[in-house]
Parts: sequence; structure tokens; C-alpha cells
Amino acid sequence: MNKILIANRGEIAVRIIRACREMGIATVAVYSECDRPALHVRLADEASPIGPNAPRESYLRIDNILRAARDTGADAVHPGYGFLAENEAFARAVRDEGLVFIGPTPEAIALMGSKTAARQAARRAGVPLVPGTETPLGAEVADAEIERIADGVGYPLLVKAVSGGGGKGMRTVTEPAELTAAVRRARSEASAAFGDPSVYLERRIVRPRHIEIQLLGDHHGTVLPFVERECSIQRRHQKVVEESPSAAVTPAIREAMMSAAAAVARAVGYTNAGTVEFLLDENGQFYFLEMNTRLQVEHPITEMVTGIDLVRWQIRIARGERLDLDAERLATPRGHAIECRIYAEDPDNAFLPSPGRIVHLRVPAGPGIRDDSGATAGLEVPIFYDPLVSKLIAWAEDRPAAIARMQRALGEYVVAGIRTTIPFFSWLLAQPDFLAGKVHTAYLDDVLASRNGRSFVEAEVATENVAAIAAALRAVLAPDATNRTDGDGQPARVDLRWKGQARVEGLR
Amino acid sequence: MRYEVDVNGRVLRVDVHRADRHFVVNVDGHEWTIDAARVDPHTLSLLIGSSSHEVTLAADKTPGQLAVGIKSVPLSVSVNGRRKWGRRDDGAGGGGPQPLVAPMPGKVVRVLVKVGTSVYPRQPLVVVEAMKMENELRAKRSGIVTELLVQEGQSVDAGALLLVVSPE
Repeated sequence: MNKILIANRGEIAVRIIRACREMGIATVAVYSECDRPALHVRLADEASPIGPNAPRESYLRIDNILRAARDTGADAVHPGYGFLAENEAFARAVRDEGLVFIGPTPEAIALMGSKTAARQAARRAGVPLVPGTETPLGAEVADAEIERIADGVGYPLLVKAVSGGGGKGMRTVTEPAELTAAVRRARSEASAAFGDPSVYLERRIVRPRHIEIQLLGDHHGTVLPFVERECSIQRRHQKVVEESPSAAVTPAIREAMMSAAAAVARAVGYTNAGTVEFLLDENGQFYFLEMNTRLQVEHPITEMVTGIDLVRWQIRIARGERLDLDAERLATPRGHAIECRIYAEDPDNAFLPSPGRIVHLRVPAGPGIRDDSGATAGLEVPIFYDPLVSKLIAWAEDRPAAIARMQRALGEYVVAGIRTTIPFFSWLLAQPDFLAGKVHTAYLDDVLASRNGRSFVEAEVATENVAAIAAALRAVLAPDATNRTDGDGQPARVDLRWKGQARVEGLR
Repeated sequence: MRYEVDVNGRVLRVDVHRADRHFVVNVDGHEWTIDAARVDPHTLSLLIGSSSHEVTLAADKTPGQLAVGIKSVPLSVSVNGRRKWGRRDDGAGGGGPQPLVAPMPGKVVRVLVKVGTSVYPRQPLVVVEAMKMENELRAKRSGIVTELLVQEGQSVDAGALLLVVSPE
């Protein structure tokens, strides 16, 4: 394997390029029109355009990506996460092209991509499942039949899209009267988002935690599970903070979960990196949720507590190497790691996306801090893709120290030009329930709803005074900066004026 | 120089005086001696007494607004009611000092006032030649010329401060 094409963008493309560079493997970036100046394009050895900005015209275009691979002579493809990472047709097309797909086989992607097939596989492996339907309920299944099945599952229950993910096509039903309407809405959402109206029913576990097990499988029959990740802090079913290990997982639960995850993977002959997701209830009972057949966004926290480079191992496995890692090491977390997903969203304005140009950026550093990002000053956060700016990861010897370190790093993080969720994380990491580790998958939505949109960090009077002083001194040092309406929306010009003025006045 | 600064909707009156290499700043009656260092176009380091504050300032999406960051606290700031600037730029209203800046790079060909001159709204103050055109730069409001930073024949950059007219 001499040259890898990365079929992705943003921070994950950068992450993979870094691993390749460290392994002496050449890299090919692909990019849409607006991503021409993106960091992954600049860091790669080669780069190839794959189309206009809309994902379905570029990052989802299998033909364009394969053409880029042919043109550059790449011999392998890493899909990253999102986009085509869990697309069976893509994995198959890469293989048919004679290239190595750095991930599981198309067969494993297809099997685990169907939630009902995945549940069947888990059942065969003897892994506990949340009570629910075993076969998809296609559009042809009558309402009365669904009601009968629902009675067997029990209430409260969830209606979920078979091809769903990220909370799309998912509905909670607390009593039978709500069922038919909920199924209709879930079907229409799933049709629109995934082109498949099939749904299934699942008992809703009250106040569960979302715990997942990372694993690696090689082509020689070895499957190795890792210590768990705690992913219960979610906003609208999207993870925003992840930790490893979980405050709720005892060594006994950990051992049981890790073997269950490995059993699911072995049952389907799984290879490369994957993650088995579980719900953990308040009594310590866990249930198989689904398997993600890709590298996860939150993989760095596992790397931090085990010292294993997961992307490097993905590549080694794809090359046919044996997983000769010490299983005990993977099961034993060293210290504690936390990840905050920093988004270009305005937390004080209902988390609305805040795209725009990053005019200034300072990334935190120092002991135990890792910033996985595709952002640099001067770059525009485009409106076309996921607005993830950075994954900030803090590692320390225990959970309180990791939280304190994350707070320290958030305070150092400076992003000007766009709004980000950094102030929200400062707030969240100070909440008593978070500090006590008492969280569940609805925790964040509940606490956000109770705030009624109040700002997360309310400036103290002293801070307001400092802001006023700074703005006035800026006006003194660069009067023109405040003398303009800035109506042209060109902050760069304001900078020019300031710079010019500093020169004129001979200021430092 | 006096500024009216709106911070998150709270209006503060800020007086700034230069003293040697420091600034003496009065905020609503409280006075501080401040050492200000401009680190880069978006970053000011302030030593207020001995306490250190790093402040990030950038133009916000709303015209005239500044997005200010201190630690991870975001604040919305405007100076001298600049939010409504478009409507106030008619010679009326506005209490703060008016800085006159060069709108484009060029050469100062005439300075029509001195420090201490009383000026009326729309009075020509400085003539700057650029792109073979003479441009009269005028006062927005009445006041007294308190600072004059250029002389005839001098070349100036776009955004250079030429003079300041303060309220009488």
C-alpha cells in the first residue's frame, strides 16, 4: 500500500493524512469547489477535485472519487466517517476497482447497516437486546398489525427507521393512542432522508446511558475489543461530549460488554475498525443497540486512554497484518479522556449554524491536550457540510483532572469571526450532574429545555467593563475600525485599517 | 477621548487619556491605569493594574457590532451607537469624538483646520488626493479639533487617522 486516497474532508481527512504521513504512505485528498483552500488539501501530497459544493455532487459521488483514485494511482481508499463510509455500494465499487477499502467488507456493512439484520446477528451471538420487532415493518404492514406487535413489545416504545441514524425517522410513543400517527411521521421522515419507509419498534429504556465498545478485527480471525466510551451527553440524539472510561461502568460490566461486542463482531466475521453501541440501564443491565461499521468521530478518546493509534491499525489491518496487540492493555484504561465536539453554532441562539470566515484562531495546547481540527484562520466554514470545527480532547490521570484540563483548554481556545459552542461546553462541564457523572441520553435535552434559551456564560460586570475598555482602546488605537458601519461585512478590511493606523502611530 | 460603549445592552461611558506609555481609563466613574499591547489585528492584551486580560475583537455579522471574547465569554459590543450609525451620520446626534480617517491611500494636499478650530457639520477639514482626484473630507458633527496627526504633503494609508474632532 503506497498511496491512500481519503474520500472525506475536514478534521477526519486531516487525521487520516497525519497517520499516513507517519507511516510513510502518500496521500490523495479530494475536494469540492469551496474546499479548495481547506487544510486537508494543503496537507495531502496530492489533491483532486471531485465536483461542486453539494455533497451529492462531490463527496457522495462514487464515480468521481474512483476517477480521482485512478488519475492519481492510489491503491487504497479510506472513507473516514459520514459521507460514503457506511455505503455498501462504495465499498464494493472500491473493491471491484482493484483497490483496498480501508474498512470492513461490503457484506459486513450491508449486514450491520440493516438494523433488523444487526439485531438478528446480535441475538445469534447471545447478546441481550432491547425487546422489539425482529423483521422490518414495510409500508405494506397494516396499522392494526403494528398495534398488535406494539402490545407485545410494551410501552413506552420507540418507532425507528430501519435505514435510519442520527435520530432521523425516530419517534417516542408513550401510549397506544399515539402509535399510528408516530409510525406515519417516522415513515415519511425515513422515506425523505433514506428512501426507505420501513420501521421497527423497540421498547424505550428509561434514562439509559449510551455506552459503546470500539473494536478491531483482522483478516486472520482475531477480534479485539477496547475499553468503553461513554456517549450519553447528546443533543437531539447527536453526541456532543464523549468520555472514556464511563463513570457508570464497573469492571464486571466492562468485561461483559467487551465480550458481547466481540461476540457480535465474530458472529459476522467483522474486519477492521467498528463500534458496538449499547444502552445501559440504571440497574447495570445492557442491551445491544447497533453496530457502526466505520471509524467513529470520538475515536481519539480511546486512543488517549489506551495509547493505540486506531487509524494506523486500520491501515495495518487492511494491509493484511495481524492484530498482535495486548488484549489486557486495550481493556485497561490509563487515566481518563474527554472529547468536546466544537461546532460552528451559536449556543445562545438555539444552536443555529454560524458559518463564516474564521478571521483568527488560537488552539489550546499544553499537557494532555489534543485538537483534531480542519480549521485554520482564513478558512470559511462552509454551509454545505457538518459544521464541526474541531474535536478538543483532554487527557489526564483521572476524571476530575481531565474535566479541569478541558476547562483550562476551553478558556485558551480563541475563535474569532464565527460563533462556536465553546461557551456552552464551559457551562456544561461545570454542571453538578455532569461533575457527578449522573447523566443519561436525555440529560442534556432536559437541562437545555429547562433553561429557556438563557445564555450559557453570563458575563460578570467586571468582564463587561474589560470588554468596554478594550473596545474603547481599540477605537483609540484604530478609530476608523469603529467609524465604519462595516456594512460590507468585510472584517479583513477593518483589520487593514487597524494595521495601517498602528503603523501611522508607531504603536506596538 | 470619550466613548459610549454598549456591552450586551449595558451602556458604559468610557473616558480614555494617554499618559506616557499607559492609558488612564475611566469607566462610569471608576478609574484604572492600563497598559495595552496590540498583539495582532484581533488581539489586545490589557494589564489593568497588574491583572492580565486577553481580549479578542472581531467585526460581528451585525454591522457596527464587535464580537468580543474574554476567556470563553462572548460579548456583543458597539462603540458610540455604531449599530445605528447609518441613521446618525447626518450631522445630528452622537456624543463621542469623531475620528477622521483616510478612506483610501493618498496624499494630504490641504489641511484646512488647526487644533482648537471650532467646526460645523459638513465643514471641509482635509483634502486628500488619490487616483488623481481631490477628495474633501468633512466633519460629521460640530465640535473642536483636538488632535491633528497629519500635515500637507504627507502620504497616508487607507484607514490612517488624520484628526479628531471632539464634542464642545
